[in-house]
Amino acid sequence: MTSRESAGKTKVQSAARSAGRTARQPRAAAASAAVETFTPQIETEIAGIRFQNPVWTASGTFGYAKEFAHLIDLDQLGAVCVKGISADPMEGNPEPRIYETASGMLNAIGLQNVGAKRFLSEKLPFLRTLKTRVVVNVFAYSTEDYVRCIEILNEGEGIAAYELNISCPNTRAGGIVYGSDPRLTEEVVAAAKKAARYPVFVKLSPNVADITVFARASENAGADAITLINTFIGMAIDIETCTPRISNVTAGLSGPAIKPLALRMVYQAARAVKIPVIGIGGIASAEDALEFIIAGARAVQVGTANLYDPGTSLRIVEGILDFCRRKRLHLSDLVGSLKVPVKKA
Amino acid sequence: MPMHDDIVAILENRPLTGGHYLLSLDAPRQASAVRPGQFAMLRILGRSDVLLRRPMSIFNLMATDGRRGWGPRRAPQLRVTGSKSRSGQAPRIMQLLYKTVGRGTRLIAELKKGDKVGLLAPLGHGFFEEEYLPQAREADEILHVAGGIGIAALLLPAKRLAEMGFKQRLFFGARTKADLVGTAEFKPLVRATLLATENGSAGYHGYVTRPLEEYLDAHTKKKFLLMACGPGPMLRATVELAKSFRHPCLVSMENRMGCGLGACLGCCVRVHSEGHEAYQRVCTEGPVFWAEKIVWK
Repeated sequence: MTSRESAGKTKVQSAARSAGRTARQPRAAAASAAVETFTPQIETEIAGIRFQNPVWTASGTFGYAKEFAHLIDLDQLGAVCVKGISADPMEGNPEPRIYETASGMLNAIGLQNVGAKRFLSEKLPFLRTLKTRVVVNVFAYSTEDYVRCIEILNEGEGIAAYELNISCPNTRAGGIVYGSDPRLTEEVVAAAKKAARYPVFVKLSPNVADITVFARASENAGADAITLINTFIGMAIDIETCTPRISNVTAGLSGPAIKPLALRMVYQAARAVKIPVIGIGGIASAEDALEFIIAGARAVQVGTANLYDPGTSLRIVEGILDFCRRKRLHLSDLVGSLKVPVKKA
Repeated sequence: MPMHDDIVAILENRPLTGGHYLLSLDAPRQASAVRPGQFAMLRILGRSDVLLRRPMSIFNLMATDGRRGWGPRRAPQLRVTGSKSRSGQAPRIMQLLYKTVGRGTRLIAELKKGDKVGLLAPLGHGFFEEEYLPQAREADEILHVAGGIGIAALLLPAKRLAEMGFKQRLFFGARTKADLVGTAEFKPLVRATLLATENGSAGYHGYVTRPLEEYLDAHTKKKFLLMACGPGPMLRATVELAKSFRHPCLVSMENRMGCGLGACLGCCVRVHSEGHEAYQRVCTEGPVFWAEKIVWK
């Protein structure tokens, strides 16, 4: 019984591997099948970068990937978005930093990271050994520091793209301001684009009244793609002690609870811009991922689910393939294929 | 780090006193890799309202008796080093001692024999003998200091120490008599157990650190190594005592956890590191730290 259960992991791995194989080399039709076997194409191209599949891991939930190397086959992921990097190391917030809520969790980690230089020397070498693409999430408190961080990271080889974190709600200055002011969004995106050696994706904050304003601001400033959404600002209180559950008082909410909100924003943003949209927010299954893809996302990121079930991403890859096979569609057919009935006058 | 993430079956979820349970899991891959002081992350399957795994100390390991089937009172106790038990069998059963303190643990308490759970284990930097042997050899006695469910972290270390021939003593305090669970397993390992309850229903009436202080004060010529696990204030008081009586002290910390394997940085505690203060992960650099490493609030 236990060995059968533990074979589940290798089953996911080999299914994903054989899927990759069939995408390039069509199998001969099965003797019993009257119909030709359909081999779905789930590669996706964003800003000239080819991703082997549309399932990425979200920044902050997957460390620097090596933490999961023993548990899942990292080479099967479409991309890894590493923990947010700043020009200088940051120590993060005091505890408590996390708190589970209904169908979700609050986090105020405080962007603890080793800093750009140590990222290049200590974390990037392992990441470069992987087949999966490496996206480096970047944040700062000032436009100058975004540029400074990018300039340090430019020295690194094998980075697929930068993901500009303008939306983290956990910092006291800088982060929240950029993501909620369209002019500052344009300013930082333009500055990042000018300095960056690699393509620049912009990760949007959902804590705004109209996400399309920020999607367009990013596009106008030259963003190669937008990823959305980051966490919603929330909080929780310990009624016994009358204190906040999180030391930072407010924190970012993530997980299944936010999925309908995230999905709505991805749908709205995808209609507002021409640049690719990557969907994030409460994705824990292939069905979830497909909703985002149909809404207009060319790829998705899995976040909170990595914390309690690291195999989620690979299961989603397999599930997307199964769906495409069943529907006889390629990924590109699905992206933005939502049918919205036309309202009668 | 040989951690494994498997779906395993519950062999027993035995209710004890005071809202405590002893959960026995059929987990040969994980059980055979456990070192003393490590912990497990338990996942309730099939729910999306309670998401995160729950961290629990690995209390005990057992082998099965193939002829008579599994039975905790009859099954041979296992050598903690992970090598074969006296009957020559590798460890197969992992036991977690836990208390129902919130939504997650209350749901876990409802699970029954045959139910499946997700088990990520073994995790963390435990009581690793290669790090404390010099202090243990210098000590006249190893003193275990447990507060409440902290007792769960100390059994495997005590078993290992007993295997190595060290003399041990247990100081165990909790709110009430019903909370003093797990003492039977310590009996063959320690010279004496001193119990304390806050309401006086068993043992010393008050905090366990008081009789601990009296003991240290009565034996100032002796050397001790302390191993402690329990609520924050109890740990702080124990560490203060160890410091003032100049005995080395290891503490097993706890915190709310996200991933349990070092990626999310949700469980960090403040420590002294390389001349300044920093945050380290209870799930990876810990849960066990030398007392002076922690920046105590």
